[in-house]
Amino acid sequence: MDNMQPIPNQSETTPFPEGEALKNQIQWRHRQGLAWRLLFIAALLIAISSLIALLYNILNDSFGYVVVINKVDPQRLALDVVEEQILNTANTVSSEDDFELANGIANDSNGIGFFGIAYYQENNETLKLLAVDGVMPNAETAASGEYPFTRPLYLYTADAVLQNNQAANIFLNYLLNNVNSEIETVGYFPATSAAYAAAQQRWLSANPGLGLQSGQWVSIEPDGMAGTIRVVGSSTVFPLTQHMLEQYQEAGFAGNFGNESVGSSAGLAAFCSGQADFAASSRPIQSGEIEACRNNGRFPLEFQIGTDALAIVVNNQNSALNEVSTEQLQQIFTTATTWNEVNEAWPAQAIQRYIPGADSGTLDFFAEAVYQTSLASLPKDDLVRLLATNISTGRGRALEREQRFYESALVFEDPATWNEVCAAPAGERPSGCIAEPRTQEEVYDLLLAEVIQPDVVKVYNLQNSLLNRTAIATEAAALYPNGEITFRSWLSADFITDPQSSTPEFAGVRTAIFGSLWVIFITILFSFPIGVGAAIYLEEYAADNRLNRILQTNINNLAGVPSIIYGMLGLAIFVRVLEQLTSGAIFGAVESTASANGRTIISAGLTLGLLILPLIIINAQEALRAVPNSLRQAGLALGATQWQTIWYHVLPSALPGILTGTILAVSRAIGETAPLVVVGASTFITVDPSGPFSKFTTLPIQIYQWTSRPQAEFRNIAAAAIIVLLAMLLSLNASAIILRNRYSTRSI
Amino acid sequence: MATKNPATPLMGAETNMNDLTKRPRIGESFIQGFLFLCGILSIFTTLGIVYILTTESLAFFTRQQWENTNKPIVADITPEETVLVVGDAGASLIEEDIVRLGEEVMVVQSIAENTITVLRGQQDTIAVSHTAGLQLFRSNTVTLSETITTTKWIPQLGLFGIWPLLLATLMTSLIAMLVALPLGLASAIYLSEYASEKVRSMLKPILEVLAGIPTVVFGYFALTFMTPLLRSIFGEGRVEIFNTASAGIVVGILIIPLVSSMSEDALHAVPRALREAAYGLGATKLETSLKIVLPAALSGITAAFVVAISRAIGETMVVAIAAGAGPKNFELGKDSITGFVLNPFLAAETMTGHIVRISGGDISYDSIDYNSLFSIGLLLFSMTLVLNIAARYFVSRYREVYE
Amino acid sequence: MKPNTSFSNGSVAVEAKEMQVYYGSFRAVKDIALKIPTKHITALIGPSGCGKSTVLRSFNRMNDLVASARVEGQILYHGSNIYDTHVDPVEIRRRIGMVFQKPNPFSKTIYENVAWGARINGFKGNMDQLVEESLRQAALWDEVKDKLSQSGYSLSGGQQQRLCIARTIAVKPEIILMDEPTSALDPVATLRIEELIQELKKQYTIIIVTHNMQQAARASDYTAFFNMDGDRAGYLVEFDNTNELFTNPKNELTEQYITGRFG
Ligand SMILES: Nc1ncnc2c1ncn2[C@@H]1O[C@H](COP(=O)(O)OP(=O)(O)O)[C@@H](O)[C@H]1O
Ligand SMILES: [Mg+2]
Repeated sequence: MDNMQPIPNQSETTPFPEGEALKNQIQWRHRQGLAWRLLFIAALLIAISSLIALLYNILNDSFGYVVVINKVDPQRLALDVVEEQILNTANTVSSEDDFELANGIANDSNGIGFFGIAYYQENNETLKLLAVDGVMPNAETAASGEYPFTRPLYLYTADAVLQNNQAANIFLNYLLNNVNSEIETVGYFPATSAAYAAAQQRWLSANPGLGLQSGQWVSIEPDGMAGTIRVVGSSTVFPLTQHMLEQYQEAGFAGNFGNESVGSSAGLAAFCSGQADFAASSRPIQSGEIEACRNNGRFPLEFQIGTDALAIVVNNQNSALNEVSTEQLQQIFTTATTWNEVNEAWPAQAIQRYIPGADSGTLDFFAEAVYQTSLASLPKDDLVRLLATNISTGRGRALEREQRFYESALVFEDPATWNEVCAAPAGERPSGCIAEPRTQEEVYDLLLAEVIQPDVVKVYNLQNSLLNRTAIATEAAALYPNGEITFRSWLSADFITDPQSSTPEFAGVRTAIFGSLWVIFITILFSFPIGVGAAIYLEEYAADNRLNRILQTNINNLAGVPSIIYGMLGLAIFVRVLEQLTSGAIFGAVESTASANGRTIISAGLTLGLLILPLIIINAQEALRAVPNSLRQAGLALGATQWQTIWYHVLPSALPGILTGTILAVSRAIGETAPLVVVGASTFITVDPSGPFSKFTTLPIQIYQWTSRPQAEFRNIAAAAIIVLLAMLLSLNASAIILRNRYSTRSI
Repeated sequence: MATKNPATPLMGAETNMNDLTKRPRIGESFIQGFLFLCGILSIFTTLGIVYILTTESLAFFTRQQWENTNKPIVADITPEETVLVVGDAGASLIEEDIVRLGEEVMVVQSIAENTITVLRGQQDTIAVSHTAGLQLFRSNTVTLSETITTTKWIPQLGLFGIWPLLLATLMTSLIAMLVALPLGLASAIYLSEYASEKVRSMLKPILEVLAGIPTVVFGYFALTFMTPLLRSIFGEGRVEIFNTASAGIVVGILIIPLVSSMSEDALHAVPRALREAAYGLGATKLETSLKIVLPAALSGITAAFVVAISRAIGETMVVAIAAGAGPKNFELGKDSITGFVLNPFLAAETMTGHIVRISGGDISYDSIDYNSLFSIGLLLFSMTLVLNIAARYFVSRYREVYE
Repeated sequence: MKPNTSFSNGSVAVEAKEMQVYYGSFRAVKDIALKIPTKHITALIGPSGCGKSTVLRSFNRMNDLVASARVEGQILYHGSNIYDTHVDPVEIRRRIGMVFQKPNPFSKTIYENVAWGARINGFKGNMDQLVEESLRQAALWDEVKDKLSQSGYSLSGGQQQRLCIARTIAVKPEIILMDEPTSALDPVATLRIEELIQELKKQYTIIIVTHNMQQAARASDYTAFFNMDGDRAGYLVEFDNTNELFTNPKNELTEQYITGRFG
């Protein structure tokens, strides 16, 4: 360290530190400097990280998992449509009793139908089993899933049942013990071993008193067991449960049992209302049914007891058919009337259909597997029909008046009233009289909002959604067993194109975007020419006298007035004093349905115009000041008037600066909220603004309102709306930069 | 060879080239007039603001509110009579009080035991006869001293004490300043004195982005980020959902770019020579920045601070969203000052927040509530105007020194 | 021809050896070899832009403040190269003070202007005494003794420059660098500063840049003449006793310059 030789003191006693002391002193000062430097950096980092936190927070709220509970299952609605079609096809016999169907086909050489394969096995002398898409149903194809129509068979019960009814509890134990060895005799196939183990585990959990570990199993002898067991449900499962119950009795069960074949839906309903110990079902229980059960204090437990391969059968005499494809099945059960319509090689005889009834799980399964429809893809007519059957006529009329469903036909309204209503003068006529009819998509959206009513019951933020996926899934399943967990982007195309709505799930920002654009349009129209004019006056014409100095000071001070004060000015002047003008009354432009007094787009635009005027003036002044004086002198020396010099020389070269300044001022205006609240932006408005005299809302207003709502989902759409707003500002600023670059390269 | 030089006058033959008298240029004057009008519009804006705020404030202080005295007259009275007989003795009225019976307004002349002598048919009303049992109303106007000396703002009850609103504004602004001044100034010092050109060109735009974000977004940030953060640090029990601390901190964050860019400009304006002088004396970078450059830029930095305070006072959306949805009324002597009145973790509505909330609802233009907003506006306007003028003074001072 | 860089009597305060200074890729001065005699006044002269300031500022590492500047070679001060990595520029500047072209007092009081440098450098003595002493040495005391608490800016240009000198000597440097200290002053103020410099050489080594030939001739003991080559890189043409250099220049360029034929 001591390469530097000690410097000889100029005087013997120097009051300054020397040598080591000096080194130490400087060291210490440097250390101090470093500490402060770190402090300065920290301050800047805090400022920057708050920006990051802000953006992060917005993203966090805009995307993430949600738990949605649909009031009505959309798939259910779609199936309803398909099943209705199937059931209403001519020459169709339907019954909840599969024996009847089997007999029907057995006695009809043109008959075709489907049911659990057990019923075919029982009647295999009179019936013929068809291969589907080239695959015959049997134990292997069912187990491998190769056969397209394999489905699990279920038994549902509840904890309460197993605890209170030992007969039922032991029966379930017995069934789980023996079903795999017995099921083939009935005609079905065993469940997968995983499903089987899960079922056993569930039974064990329901019997904690046995003190068994998971993986262990016990078979309990039913010897001498008394009591009553009631099983209700699917006709498909019926032969299996019947067989097992009989076996159970043989094994020593001394009590009674009842077994009814009423269809899966009816069975589950009976079970949930406490009328049965078991529900037999050929389809999984649905969310609505779970809820119904829970409301009755029954928490359904699911046991898969076997596998069915849905059998497509025809009469034994039918020599033409051995095999069908899924597409052919679609035609056979709905559109086609004769066999040869489906396949030319088949007979030209009318098809006779034998199908399970509307209450059966089998029909649901068949409809879903064969037709594979989703609600969104259904034709408009079907959607309208669904809507009509699921909402009240009153509501339907209101919707129809808002916007009708068909060009010429009415769905809810009766024609007389409609004509009367639509005969009203232009302003009072409902929008439905004029507007285009709703499209398929719009009807679908309506169906979502009015019937399905998806309700977001729980929202997870993005960070959580990405990091704790599995935890969320288990938590959601535990809290909302009938809820559906999906990843939702609150910011979506729908969000941008939909109008405002009172439910956050359906709300959009279209109205607000249009409102913002209209308001800004007026603002620019007003403040740009006046602002630039004022700047030209101050820079080019104004002499340095008292009046002009006051003018300049005044403009500078106006730039510092809080924006809310401008709102109050706008309220007093534009909304109230100039109401005749700003409401459009003077021009006869008042839209009575959207009557807004003076609280219109034009008032808002002018208010913001006044607000940014000082900014535009100051920016434009700066741009004009940057134009070299030589340019002016050159112009004047050619004999141009002052205005000609300004217009042809000064303005063009100041233009990029003026435009950038204006764009910055305009982006300030786009984000302004407070003055517009004061001027009277509408809080809820679903119609797009149609002109300067319309009521309005803007994006920031929308964000403000949503942020102030207590429900969590409004925060999410507020965040999504913020992204839209920021994107708008970003593109504006980007255009400013592009503009500046283009002009500056051109001028070189 | 002589070339003929044809006479081709630039102007028509009849134009006298020597006539240089000024001719009026209508177009030019017209344009100049228009430009002048553009400039003068800003004066009208200011006048408009001042006029609107003062007239509406005047209306606030003169508007009659009728207060039921709960004293019915006990005898019928004809239009000619001037003596009212009231139920109990000595109604709490005094001379010159303005009273109302039904539609008719009267002025109290004198008061005896249970009779009041009045002037009939005042304020453009007509003297009519009234029957016994009619309630006597007394006019009540809000006085300036009342607004300054009372501590409750409850328009429904006719209470208009400005303190709850003013205190909330001062509190959020103070908290904002505590955040913005150190952070903004330190950032400015770093950017101006320490950062290399490259780092500066990377960091400055970030602050500019922060400055360009609409305030409503900051309101959202306050409510959904800062409030939960404060609540998790200080406990949900201590920090209310709406609170001045969260709003104040976020207003502070929002103002950082303003403080930092104005301060940086001021620091930048300090001549290089001054820095060199300090280094030449053996000063370190810190000593130069903090003890030489900073004091030299002081008036500019003061201007930044003053403008920032003015911004904080006038800031609306953040406080409207996050500070509170109702004035924090209090009673001196009864409510603890630190535990309640000045507790930043409690909800308190600021002046701007109140204006936004009330005007955002369904407000009748012909009501004292409406007038009261403008008197708040007047106070706000005056405060920010004084601050802005002060800032301009400081700016002009630092310009003077170095130009 | 190698310039004469030696002087007969006295010791060397600071010495530049093979010094090159670059601004980015531009070489501003090249191959400087220069010994500065202790407690004498050395003038640096030469045409504008030839790198006088650059050389001067290299002596107390003032060029560190210019991001693009880079110094090669050595500047020996008490046997050490001040550009060695372990040498602290703060200490160097404390020992080698500087007075600038334009008076640049701090925006502080007159008193503080003088006291500040001493204070940050750990001065332990009597501050009032130091301030008075420094102001006296700078021949300013009588003019300001009644207004010590006024701003440094309240003084006239010449007074400000003397204040800057007082400020510099308050930290008791060994060498004072002066970059055209009178160029912004009127003749009367210039004269006072020149007299002051003569006083100061009793205690300090002074290096002064000037473009005023008379000043160099009159006020300095030694003179270094710089010029620049075709690449605008400055180099030392001649160094000598001032009398010698002005009356009997060894180099033709020097003669042309001092007789005013270029520059
Ligand atoms: N900060 C700098 N950055 C880049 N070049 C510089 C800088 N300072 C000086 N120069 C250049 O270095 C050369 C010498 O400058 P300078 O030392 O100021 O000359 P002088 O003081 O003799 O007039 C000039 O060409 C000048 O342009
Ligand atoms: Mg120089």
